[in-house]
Amino acid sequence: MLESREAELKESNMVGKGRSLWGDAWRRLISSNTARLGMAIVAIFVLSAVLAHFFWEYNPRTDLDYSLKLKPPTLIPNEEVPSVHPFGTDKLGRDVFRRVVHGGWNSLRVGFVSVGISLVVGGVLGLLAGFYESMALGRVGQGILLGGIGLAFGAVSAWLAGQVFQVPLFVLLSIAGVFYGTEPTRGRVPEVKPGRVLMFVAAGLLISAVPALLVSPYTAAACGILGALTGGLVSLPLGGSVVSNVIMRIMDIILAFPAYLLAIAIVAFLGPGLNKAMIAIGFVGIPVYARLVRSAVLSVTQADYVLAAQAVGVGYGRLLLRHIVPNTLSPVIVQLTMGLASAIIWAGALGFLGLGAIPPEPEWGAILGDSYRFLTSGAWWAVLFPGLAIMLSVLGFNLLGDGLRDALDPSLTR
Amino acid sequence: MTRYIIQRVLSLIPTILGVTLTVFLLLRLIPGDPAVAMLGEHAAQENVERIREQFGLNRPLFLDREALEQGDVAAFFDSQYIRYLGRLARLDLGSSIHRRVAIADELRTRFPATIELAMLSMIVAILIGIPVGIVSAARRASLLDSISMVGALIGVSMPIFWLGLMEIMLFAVILQWLPSGGRLGHAMEVRSITNMVVVDSLLTGNTEALVDALKHLALPTIALATIPMAIIARMTRSSMLEVLRADYIRTAHAKGLRETVVLFRHALKNAFLPIITIIGIQTSSLMAGAVLTETIFSWPGIGKWVYDAILGRDYPIVQSGTLLITIVIVAVNLVVDLSYAFLDPRIHYE
Repeated sequence: MLESREAELKESNMVGKGRSLWGDAWRRLISSNTARLGMAIVAIFVLSAVLAHFFWEYNPRTDLDYSLKLKPPTLIPNEEVPSVHPFGTDKLGRDVFRRVVHGGWNSLRVGFVSVGISLVVGGVLGLLAGFYESMALGRVGQGILLGGIGLAFGAVSAWLAGQVFQVPLFVLLSIAGVFYGTEPTRGRVPEVKPGRVLMFVAAGLLISAVPALLVSPYTAAACGILGALTGGLVSLPLGGSVVSNVIMRIMDIILAFPAYLLAIAIVAFLGPGLNKAMIAIGFVGIPVYARLVRSAVLSVTQADYVLAAQAVGVGYGRLLLRHIVPNTLSPVIVQLTMGLASAIIWAGALGFLGLGAIPPEPEWGAILGDSYRFLTSGAWWAVLFPGLAIMLSVLGFNLLGDGLRDALDPSLTR
Repeated sequence: MTRYIIQRVLSLIPTILGVTLTVFLLLRLIPGDPAVAMLGEHAAQENVERIREQFGLNRPLFLDREALEQGDVAAFFDSQYIRYLGRLARLDLGSSIHRRVAIADELRTRFPATIELAMLSMIVAILIGIPVGIVSAARRASLLDSISMVGALIGVSMPIFWLGLMEIMLFAVILQWLPSGGRLGHAMEVRSITNMVVVDSLLTGNTEALVDALKHLALPTIALATIPMAIIARMTRSSMLEVLRADYIRTAHAKGLRETVVLFRHALKNAFLPIITIIGIQTSSLMAGAVLTETIFSWPGIGKWVYDAILGRDYPIVQSGTLLITIVIVAVNLVVDLSYAFLDPRIHYE
């Protein structure tokens, strides 16, 4: 009886098919003109770059023809220019069209890889910072935190005294801090017990100063101060907020930097090349994702469903992967698309400054940087087209990002 | 409020120390010895040593382990990094390794050049971006709105180095209306007071130089202003649209207030926080993006200077230049945060 009623309802379209949240977003996305235009532009650039890379042979090392130096765009072959060059030729007589199409492979690759680097590193850091800001550190987490502190201080002390075995001693002391410390509790700040602090300070003093006495009394004094400090630090009830604070302060430092100069300095350190440019651009982008993910995670961890999941005994791993991460995805997806757009501009900027692709490898920014000196002699085509390629592909990603934002956050639709 | 400012400034100290440490480390990790870079590959070893001694490059980076063993506490701390911090504390920026010029002297002309360009660009961006955003929001879905938002989207997607080159091609090469680079024509002379050419020529009443300076500023300003203008216009529009849906706007309309009053007195005031935030962020990226614009327009500012110094391993220039830009960025952020309380009385800083 009931079943037949259900079938009847389905027939009459009164009960629709279940729609998932993502399915809904997708429907909104493809019904928006901006997003469709963006997808079309992105598809053209990605397809042409990929197809050219795999099916249109090009060897930049042998591409050279001085007889065709700096010729304006020609669509019909004539006596002076016997071949078709829709975008003209550059200072070495190379076909600009061919180089722009092949340059797309490199430029887009830099964009994708560097955004990937920023997302993976920044996302994980932001996830940890946001999660542990409101959750208590587990035993393992605390062990890693304190062990890290021990490792860092132990390394300095060991270097000063020239005694390597101090490092494991410091780490052991820190681990002891976990087991002899206070039970990690959520929400409540555990009290500081003076007796325990004193004990750890004494232990730290002992393991660092005594071996250093073999070197000189001054070294022993310096190491002793370091050891006592470490001991005191690991005896304190350090919790998740320390992890979050350390991560976010490091992000603040990276953000405070003038971004272009940081990227340039990193490339100068690593040496020029496309892969190095990817690392530099990716590194500079890390704090953006860390901050975005952290704030998204912070708001999600306050939600009732997270509390409910914890109440039924869901572990941290499952809580993160099943309940928190999926609910932080939509701002990240939007930022990813926009991030791709700016990474492509960055790649072009580094290439323009001569810090990206190594010539004669084609890359949009590098092609521009190669040819802009000939602008004053009227060779506009070698500058116009690669720049137009950068602008259009970036425009495509921005359009797609706008569309995605409207699709993923229906509350913004007006 | 005062307490908040003091707190904020104090909390900047670790950030700034972190920045100095990062620049310092990064520079030392870059392969290449500045002394060798300065004297050339085939310089005599003792000359290289002399230069290294002179610039303190022979000292350890952070702490001197051997000195501690000898019990020499002063020498223990006498390292490159701590010497650098000590000089900073005395506001002594040192001198360029390559050119032996005091960095402070060079900054006196270069820093105002960058600031002049960045400020003018920001002013242009604000003066155009905000009105465009307001009009777009007020006349939503009109032709004007569509045109300006498409324009803004193109502006956001613009690689400024390419835009700069296209401007040079059009206005300097083809039309020959405007100069392609530099701050002043060769024949021009302005008595330097602030080292910002526009301000100086205004102060000295030198109209001829003023016109020339503005002509030189036109192209780089357009290039630099495009992205912030587009971003400000977009942010103004979306923020205004949000506010225009509020009940008090309907009330204001119902009271029969004129539309300009509703838009500016009621809506804009409440829509201003996100706009000012984005202005702050964009000011920082203007400062940081100076490298590209200054390269294209041969603008004698700090961006290009630091860029060349990074490639030439001129440590002192990179250290001071980066630190200065960082301080400006951090200061802008502080001003933006403080302006929240000024714009929105509900926000209090304790």
